Amino acid sequence: MSNLKITNLTKRFSEVLAVDNLNLEVADGEFVTLLGPSGCGKTTILRTIAGFCNPDRGEIFFGDKIMNNIPPNKRNTAMCFQSYALFPHMSVWDNISFGLKMQKISRQGQKKKISQVMEMLGLEGLEKRKPGQLSGGQQQRVALARAIVTEPKILLFDEPLSNLDAKLRVQVRIEIRDMQKRLGITTIYVTHDQDEALAISDRIVVMERGHIEQLGDPYNIYRNPETSFVAGFIGLANIYEGTVVARDGSRYTVEAPFGKVVIVSDGRKIPEASKTVKFVWRPEDMKIYIQGAPNRVKGKILQAVFMGNITDIFIDVQGNKMRAQIDESRKLIAGDVIEFSIPEDAFSILRG
Amino acid sequence: MKEKKISPIDLLMLFPGVGFILLFIGSSIFLTLVQSFGLFSITGKSVFTLENWKAILQARESMDSLFFSLKMGLLSSVGTVVVAFPIALFFRKGGTGKGILGSIIKMPLFIPALVAAFLILNLISYSGLVNTVLMRLNLINEPLRMLNDKFGWGVVFIQIWKNLPFVLLIVMAALASIRDDTIDAAKNLGAGYWSILFRIFVPLAMPGILVSMILMFIKAFGDFPIVSVAGPIYPASMAARMHIMATIYQEWDQAAVLGVIIIVTAFIVIWAYSRFAELAKGEV
Repeated sequence: MSNLKITNLTKRFSEVLAVDNLNLEVADGEFVTLLGPSGCGKTTILRTIAGFCNPDRGEIFFGDKIMNNIPPNKRNTAMCFQSYALFPHMSVWDNISFGLKMQKISRQGQKKKISQVMEMLGLEGLEKRKPGQLSGGQQQRVALARAIVTEPKILLFDEPLSNLDAKLRVQVRIEIRDMQKRLGITTIYVTHDQDEALAISDRIVVMERGHIEQLGDPYNIYRNPETSFVAGFIGLANIYEGTVVARDGSRYTVEAPFGKVVIVSDGRKIPEASKTVKFVWRPEDMKIYIQGAPNRVKGKILQAVFMGNITDIFIDVQGNKMRAQIDESRKLIAGDVIEFSIPEDAFSILRG
Repeated sequence: MKEKKISPIDLLMLFPGVGFILLFIGSSIFLTLVQSFGLFSITGKSVFTLENWKAILQARESMDSLFFSLKMGLLSSVGTVVVAFPIALFFRKGGTGKGILGSIIKMPLFIPALVAAFLILNLISYSGLVNTVLMRLNLINEPLRMLNDKFGWGVVFIQIWKNLPFVLLIVMAALASIRDDTIDAAKNLGAGYWSILFRIFVPLAMPGILVSMILMFIKAFGDFPIVSVAGPIYPASMAARMHIMATIYQEWDQAAVLGVIIIVTAFIVIWAYSRFAELAKGEV
């Protein structure tokens, strides 16, 4: 049975439709990330699950219990806020013990649980400090400790790492994932950072304008995007449109503006011959052409940016711009003519 | 970073403000203090004596006035904050109609204390509006004595009415600085209404609450006009007693003693406030 179920959720803020008839089921212990640009409705969903926001329509279930009319303080969810939202007048210890006090746990019980959590998150020695005396990373850990110490049914994260520097962000996200796996708490995580979403999630819900664009595991979302929005939002993408001119089993020949390409795809997505299709491939799928390789494209380098492990290349193929990322060690210069090949199975057909 | 040294030009620019305070307020406080010991007396005499202090401290009227003023200061300051806090909480979240309501509530701020006292007089006097309504509703058999009552409830009532908007502004500013996320976090962790009120709102608004209480205390403790109109016949407030001493009994040096007591009390309250504020912040 799913631990969290959202059915037909709709929420409007005056003229803006924040969430549009959304359905989602999350299994027990699963880590699901809501990913999308600002204003796509992901935080509204999170706040609705927490009970801070009442849906206009639709239901929220925890297990088989409908939660719509249950106030936030009775939902047993725990949220980590973007701002951390630590109580500034309380010490680290008092911040973490707040939820336990509300649950009327005995002093002894509180002490045991808090000590365990503080040890798990490496917060020992900071018990008496006030939030203002902690670094960003420490504050984030206190917020996390405060959330998990109450053993919530569902853990909610609202862009919890956006105030940390890049290095710390990676470190804390690993800690969050480790901790979540260890405790097995169902987790909903909101972010607009695609790397974070790919690295941390069991499944990703890509959202745009209040609805789900695609739902799947990180590999599928990245390798098989279904729409140009998903393809463009997650990772870098070359997106083109062409006409199907021939079919040979699961191999399709498509006439694209830069020439003919052969695409291998599962038949579900490819429309009939002579229909227009939109397709995508990733810059890292483009290889320097060697004899006999498929989908040969020849273009002029517009810009080549050396980035250490890879070189990011912008090329012009018969007036069409493409991007390639290769680990070629030789120095590439703008103006050079270069030949690439694209593997037939690198393409994904998009539905829109 | 190295602290910048204050240049002579900085001092010169500070002079009009700080100089005025030091020169006129500082000197008058100093004069009051020395006059209470018989020096530089307004009558022209200048002999050091403790007689003025003895006379004041031994007079029952003076001590009654001191306790009465302390009582008025304490009740008015606590009362105003208790009344203002729920209103400030209500105003914390914007909404329709709150703008107009806010303007109405702030009206007493623009009415002088003496005028305010007379306005309230009409309401709570023996044959005033409140008594008339209560009588008509058969809730009381004879009018209540709310004005010039022995305890001073009439004074407390007017003080609260008059100073509510002022305190409201301070407490509202203190509450506005509390982030919504903090409140949501408390709710999320299982806190109900009262827990949020006493564990989050009150402690986080404490600096504002303390500032308004201290300002209210000093105002009500040293009040002259409201006590004169609505206060009991006996005892007089400290300020009224000082006025009587100086103008009726012509005991200017003894009036200075009372002045020093008012000033010292104010300083003690400010000191206690700063200690309490540090304690609340956990820095002690």
